[in-house]
Amino acid sequence: MVIFKEIKKHPLNYLILGVILIIAAFVFFYFRQNFDAHDQRRVVYVTSGIYLIWSLYHHYRRGDLQFSIILEYFLLALFAVIIALTTLSP
Amino acid sequence: MAGFLSLLFIPQEKNNHRALLLRPSFLGIFIALYLLNQSIIQSLTVLKPGILGYSSEITAQKVLNQTNSERQKLGLPVLEYNDTLSQSAAAKANDMFSNNYWSHNSPAGKTPWDFFKSAGYKYSIAGENLAKDFYDTDGLIKAWMNSPTHRDNIINDKYQEIGIAVINGVLSGVKTTLVVQHFATPLNTQVAVKKQTTAPSPDVVTAPEPLISTQSLGTSAVTPSLISPLLISKIIGTIIFTLILGVLIIDSYITLKNNTPRLTGSSASHIGFLLIILMLLIFGRQGTIF
Repeated sequence: MVIFKEIKKHPLNYLILGVILIIAAFVFFYFRQNFDAHDQRRVVYVTSGIYLIWSLYHHYRRGDLQFSIILEYFLLALFAVIIALTTLSP
Repeated sequence: MAGFLSLLFIPQEKNNHRALLLRPSFLGIFIALYLLNQSIIQSLTVLKPGILGYSSEITAQKVLNQTNSERQKLGLPVLEYNDTLSQSAAAKANDMFSNNYWSHNSPAGKTPWDFFKSAGYKYSIAGENLAKDFYDTDGLIKAWMNSPTHRDNIINDKYQEIGIAVINGVLSGVKTTLVVQHFATPLNTQVAVKKQTTAPSPDVVTAPEPLISTQSLGTSAVTPSLISPLLISKIIGTIIFTLILGVLIIDSYITLKNNTPRLTGSSASHIGFLLIILMLLIFGRQGTIF
């Protein structure tokens, strides 16, 4: 897969992100099992926040930390938060 | 037209090697469109209350059966259905609808115990479980059993009787089904409570009186098919996320294959993040207990 070329350039960064996302999925399903909509939402908020922090770290290490790049991550994280807020029952 | 679509989806020289749909401006448009959809939904809930809501298959009979089934699994005696307790539970549900709140205590300061007393039930020990927005009884009972405080009520060996209300109405502009369980043990055997000797029919739980004429309060737990606002939001969110995900995959494939140097976010991380969020979006469960 071509996409793995990108991952191979910064394996540690992607390993950290992978672990974060897998933990997020496990925690989410734990709360889902308990029918806890509020905590399911919180998992998405925290994951989005951590994703944003990870992006700062990743691009700082890559030496291409630019406003337009961070804006891209911010909008994706914001969209995830908005969707969690509106789809996991109030 | 085909050229514009190509610019939207395919990275090429004309779009500076980045599919237009992945640019921050287009991500902003997606968010704006989604928020517009949300405002339409919110407006509908205010202007035409009752159009949007949840359809539920929950019945009082099923709630009673499954509650007792959970007790029997632990070797506890079954709870006897009590009509007065059901009236108390129905009064609580109606009070939540009419005063638009979701809590054990009302904004006016009414506690669950006030409803027991108003219904004429004298108890030595009592408890209350609340739930809303659940689709089926299985999910509802599992949610209660997974919550230590609600579970304690269901399997409390000190309780002897139960009343259940499954009532449809409009709460915060959204049509929903409220389920109220009132557990109790009568103060003494002389208490004048109307006991039902046989199991209630699925639709026996009636509100003492409809408090809001426009609400379909009452006995039937099976509502007509309704459009769930959560489902609409989920479908639209899933479509947009899948679209972004698809374009990201195409974009990263082409640029990495061609070794195109560019200053953008990491497509691999975006794909991972969106996949997780998409999974959470699809598998998120509705229903709330209190």
